[in-house]
Amino acid sequence: MTSFTPYTYFLCPCTDTSTSTRNLGDSPSAESEENSDDERTFDPRAARSNYSLYPLEHLLYCEDCHQIRCPRCVLDEIVTWYCPNCLFEVPSSTVKSEGNRCTRSCFQCPICVAPLSVSSLEAPPEGLGAELASGQNGPFVLNCAYCMWSSKEIEIQFDKPNGIFAQLAKIKNGGEPIITAKDRRKDREERGKRHFSGSSAAEEYQESEAPITLDPNERLDPESQFSNLKAFYQTQMAESSPVSALGFTGDYGYGSPGALSRIMGLYTGGSFADKKSKSKSGTMREARDALEGLQIDPLSSSEAITKLSTEGWESTASCAQRHEQTTHTPFISDLRPIAYLLRTKRSKRCKTCRHILSKPESKVQTTRFRIRLVALNYIPSIIIKPLQPTLLTASTLLTPLKPVQFLLTFKNPLFDAVKVTLATPAKTPGRFPTKVTVLCPQFEVGANTDVWDEALRDNNTKSSLSGEKRRTKAEASEGQHQAEAGKVWERGRNWVSVVVEVVPPSLRIDGSEWLKSEEMKRDGEEVRDGEDVVEIPVFVRVEWEGEAGGEESGLGGGGKDKEVREKRELAYWCVLGLGKVALD
Amino acid sequence: MSSKRASTMPAPPKPPTSLASSLTIAEHASLTGTHLITLGSNTVVHPRAKFSSAHAPITVGSNCIICERSSIGFQSEASPNERQGVVIQNDVVIEVGAVVEAKTVGEGTVIEVQAKIGKGAVLGKHCKIGPQCEIVEGETVPDFTVVYGNGMRRLDNSGVEDLKLKMVARQIEVLKRLIPSNPAKFQ
Repeated sequence: MTSFTPYTYFLCPCTDTSTSTRNLGDSPSAESEENSDDERTFDPRAARSNYSLYPLEHLLYCEDCHQIRCPRCVLDEIVTWYCPNCLFEVPSSTVKSEGNRCTRSCFQCPICVAPLSVSSLEAPPEGLGAELASGQNGPFVLNCAYCMWSSKEIEIQFDKPNGIFAQLAKIKNGGEPIITAKDRRKDREERGKRHFSGSSAAEEYQESEAPITLDPNERLDPESQFSNLKAFYQTQMAESSPVSALGFTGDYGYGSPGALSRIMGLYTGGSFADKKSKSKSGTMREARDALEGLQIDPLSSSEAITKLSTEGWESTASCAQRHEQTTHTPFISDLRPIAYLLRTKRSKRCKTCRHILSKPESKVQTTRFRIRLVALNYIPSIIIKPLQPTLLTASTLLTPLKPVQFLLTFKNPLFDAVKVTLATPAKTPGRFPTKVTVLCPQFEVGANTDVWDEALRDNNTKSSLSGEKRRTKAEASEGQHQAEAGKVWERGRNWVSVVVEVVPPSLRIDGSEWLKSEEMKRDGEEVRDGEDVVEIPVFVRVEWEGEAGGEESGLGGGGKDKEVREKRELAYWCVLGLGKVALD
Repeated sequence: MSSKRASTMPAPPKPPTSLASSLTIAEHASLTGTHLITLGSNTVVHPRAKFSSAHAPITVGSNCIICERSSIGFQSEASPNERQGVVIQNDVVIEVGAVVEAKTVGEGTVIEVQAKIGKGAVLGKHCKIGPQCEIVEGETVPDFTVVYGNGMRRLDNSGVEDLKLKMVARQIEVLKRLIPSNPAKFQ
């Protein structure tokens, strides 16, 4: 906990967090009313701030709106679906019909989520002519090289080494075949026929080849239970509700006026439904057996209880394992291999102007982007360093009430020089205010030109940048550790370092009663989580003269006077996390 | 080799060994200590595998694979009930960088990369100790146990032991061709 890495977070302007950041239940105190004018400081510890602060690397930049865009204010569009295991692209139509899992042979181990591989249960051919033998043959299993789980444990074997997904869909745990939905539908229709036309249909049924007899008490897998239930209630709906005026019953019959009045009747206690429609609608019954989708909860069955008592805790699946499964799996023996979830490549659009901010190459194997407007290329990055290099043995914690100086290095990614203006509150908001002084709140950062440009320019004009002498590393180490107000600490080709002085607060609360602010009294006596971190809100304003229009022509070199230069401005809040304060 | 300066230290005494004739042992394997080191038939010892019999003897069965930088043998004084030292049964695979101080390693067990078997532990047959997993001192691991991840354990009921043994035998066949054997150096 003692180690702390300084961080910089940027506030996305999409949410105006400075409004109504009071906690629920807080009475509007005098202080918050005072703050409610235009010159509000941003409170990095406010409850809502967490949701709009991002590291610079997570942000995008819209060139048309000239604004920072965070993950909350972009629209995602799926470019491709692909399987992370076999890297095959899956067409979105297949995703719609087959679901969002790989339908080839990619599976994860249900025990440890490592990828499963298909292997033959038979030893590979050996001896003379082994090369001529056509590969491995039969029965195949899925096995995990990491935890040695194999689908043999749930008694599932495959005939072919490919198309495992389709094969697995037909086998239950234990090796019995799953009666497919198609077969069930056939059986249902047969039963329906018999029900309506008596014995003649039954005879016909006898004649039809390979009749599947379904056990009314069978244990259904969840998919077929759902399809059974759905089919059952559909027939119930069709029977109970009259055919609508248009002549069709629809999916659930909600569209028909008869059904609508029946539903209204349910809510209004029958007064709405007139006698006529009541007489028309028959009573609906519930599912009675497995054929109609009725299943007694298997956990409450004695079978499960005896299994639990004989095999014990070891046979039950862990929470994490059950979470990965799509169905209810209380025991290890119920677990099934997990087909790989498909992943997506997404392009991102600006919510306000609908321009694309990021678009990956649609091919799965490539990691390149066609368009990628990341904020890192538009906004000066801020790096925090302590000015006095701390000894390795010294604690990394800040001493309360002792001024510390930090070096903020602004690095300009733009091809134009920018003018940066910093603003901080004198005291940070919160219970333990830190005193902040930026020694040089206004400075200019050079353009991100070619590395050689500077070397060439140095010969001609020595001090091109506002007459300020560049502080060399040697000079800095000569003991010139006194930072001067209003002066830049160090300057480079496209970067500038300035000094910020901070007086960390004392985290002592047990002062005398009159010293405590109203807020302190209300919030109690403890230092809450995160309150010992010195976080400084900084308002950064960046001004530069860019080329007019969206078209960029190279590095902005030659025809400067011909092109129309346009003044640009960007302003945003940042939060600098400087360090932790020691408890005294 | 001639350009290298020879060590001025006298070579340490070779430990007594009992090597099977069909053993494959690389020249750069290191056998140290004072107790007997027995290596069974068809076993493959990779270069830079370390056997240390300073405190107790080491017995390795047949058809075993001992990989690079693995270290076998007690690293501290053996207690009276550990006098027979490290006994590794047949068909055991000890992967790269594993440290084995077990009393017994059962038949067909696989000890994965950088796993650690504490002193005096007893591993059952057909176990698998996952990469970087640790078995504490004196622990007894039952047959067919798989130790994986963050010390998770399960019993392997797949029943494909014979197949695994066959795969180990095939691996040994290949390694025998790849690793030049020099048992004379250790005798």
